[in-house]
Amino acid sequence: MNSNGDIKSGSYRKSAGATKKETYAELYRRFILLTLICSVFPLILVGWGIYTYYSEFATARMVDYFQNLTEYHRKIVELFLKERTADLQLTAFTHSLEHLRDTSNLNRVFNTLNREEVFFTDIGVIDDRGRHVSYVGPYDLMDKDYSETFWFKRVMERGVYISDMFMGYRSVPHFIIAVLRSDENQKWILRATVYTDYMRSLVEDVKIGETGEVYLLNKEGVFQTAPRYSGKIMGSAPFRMDVFTEESGIHILEGGKDDLDRPLPKQIIAYAWLKKPRWLLGVKQDYDEAFRAVNHANHAILIFLHVSILAILVVAILTTRHMIKVIQKRDEEEERLSMQLLQASKLASIGELAAGVAHEINNPLSVILTENQVIRDLGEEATSLDGDFKGQLFESLSQIEAQVQRCSHITQNLLRFSRRSKSKIEMVDINKCCEEVIELLEKRAQTSGIQFIVDLENDLPRLLSDPFQLEQVLINFISNSIDAHEGKPYGTIRINSRLNSRKQGIEINISDTGSGISQENLKRIFDPFFTTKPVGKGTGLGLSISYTIVKSLGGNITVRSEMGKGTEFTIFLPFRTAKDFEDSPYDVAG
Amino acid sequence: MMSLDEPGIRILLVDDEEAFTRNMSKLLVRRGFRVSTADSGEAAVSAVEESEFDVVVLDLKMPGMGGIEALKIIKRKKPMVEVIILTGHGSVETGIEGMHHGAFDYAMKPIRIEELQEKIAEAYQRKKIRLQNMQR
Repeated sequence: MNSNGDIKSGSYRKSAGATKKETYAELYRRFILLTLICSVFPLILVGWGIYTYYSEFATARMVDYFQNLTEYHRKIVELFLKERTADLQLTAFTHSLEHLRDTSNLNRVFNTLNREEVFFTDIGVIDDRGRHVSYVGPYDLMDKDYSETFWFKRVMERGVYISDMFMGYRSVPHFIIAVLRSDENQKWILRATVYTDYMRSLVEDVKIGETGEVYLLNKEGVFQTAPRYSGKIMGSAPFRMDVFTEESGIHILEGGKDDLDRPLPKQIIAYAWLKKPRWLLGVKQDYDEAFRAVNHANHAILIFLHVSILAILVVAILTTRHMIKVIQKRDEEEERLSMQLLQASKLASIGELAAGVAHEINNPLSVILTENQVIRDLGEEATSLDGDFKGQLFESLSQIEAQVQRCSHITQNLLRFSRRSKSKIEMVDINKCCEEVIELLEKRAQTSGIQFIVDLENDLPRLLSDPFQLEQVLINFISNSIDAHEGKPYGTIRINSRLNSRKQGIEINISDTGSGISQENLKRIFDPFFTTKPVGKGTGLGLSISYTIVKSLGGNITVRSEMGKGTEFTIFLPFRTAKDFEDSPYDVAG
Repeated sequence: MMSLDEPGIRILLVDDEEAFTRNMSKLLVRRGFRVSTADSGEAAVSAVEESEFDVVVLDLKMPGMGGIEALKIIKRKKPMVEVIILTGHGSVETGIEGMHHGAFDYAMKPIRIEELQEKIAEAYQRKKIRLQNMQR
């Protein structure tokens, strides 16, 4: 039965422990989850917000930059063409046909136009029938007939004409600017070939990153300058022209594969149209390169976000672990305290029971004792009884009386035990109290090789205190002093009592030759549950309870200790009146 | 100590344990005391009202009127009567409580006849001194 009961309680404890472990694990998971939800979710939200906003902002900035760049280069090219057109118009309107027919005059004009910079390759004057009447340049174009060329017709119609790039008689890519002078009696054209290299350098020399290029395209999608990567001058563009609107703008070319099945990267093209001629200036760059800075920043944001999440996770795990440990410790302490409370209430119940039993037994004992006395009286009076018989009778009666007294002692001890749970203040003889405790512990000390040296001051006045609690305090201190000698073959414990007339009280001094207490532990010895004894040997409550008792009796405790030499406890108890105990939990005996 | 040869000390023995009062009264009578018994607090009060006693030996724990209650009434009605408290509780506290209410002394059960006899003698002695003091 007993063993069954033990097994049952053991398995119950085990399963309770397992359930607790599961509860802590569940608590741990919940804390982690909650921390993650509460911190990571807002972080992701904020991170996503920053990421999106910054991406959009940086992309817009990048697009603006591209458009401004394109517009800037468009203006430069346009300004160049306008200036060259204006040069020719000024020449045509300030010189007569007759004057310029003379090649030497035309040569002078040509040199003047190219004086600062070589802008033109050649120059010529063409009459209204399309014949070259005067020419200065590296080619032999004198008397050439241009009446059937597309540009002659155009210039005759519009007055000013800038051609696209074409090969013409000279078989090299070039373009011309022609202006018409129309007087009352005659019409003639001043035509010049623009120095293509200068014009191309304005566009082709612009460098944008590693993959960037700037080029000019005519309406038909034919390159007017040589792009760095995507084609050659007068070659066709690798994309359709209808993707460009009439206004300037941005176009993204999605990647794919070219005709030879080579991968094409995604590209961004910013474009702007020139007014005259209707050419398109394009600035193109690989998308990845153009947005490298933006992508870099975005990557940094993502890395920061991930690192932050990781940090939160680590902190959450560490914090939660710590918290669970604290909770676990608190729970354990709570459990230990309730166990003690249970123990205390058990003792109190046993005390009550003992008091009841003692009382119930004392009455029949009284009757037995009186019956015993009646028989003894009768026996003494009876003269007829034999002497031996009387002797035996009285011996038996004495035995009965002795056994009754023995029972009475047992009940008195039970009652004393029951009274220990109660506090009672009465006049106490401190020396007597000390002697009782010393007597109680002397045997234990002797077996540990410890000698008590007792020096109690004679005629100490009695003081108002709780004798049972004081006894408990002294037992705790002296027991601790005995334990402090563990590992030593012998030692001494001095117990002194003396009157402290200055402080108005009595001092009890307990000093040992034990192992001593370290300075660090000295601060904690009165903390509940603090013990340096091995597990199962000390509860860590003895000194704590003693301290509480002495404090509640109005006294105090001082400790001095040196490692390896020993410890000295001094308990001071003041002389108090019954009035001093009025607010205390003690009953004062009158 | 009062000796056996001083008869006439009138004692009221109060206890609900009939066997105890019977035996104790036998023992006391044998030792020259004049003994009456009562088995409750109420009976004790009536007895004190009706007759004169020198010493009352009073058990504390009784059904009905308890010893302390009876003690208070007895001391109020007959202040000169000395009361000895008998307690089965084995504790000094209850005895001391009785003394607060005017009891002369207390004794713990089980009590030997010699001890009780001694206490009765002391109580009677005190009564005599108090009477003498009053007469002066």
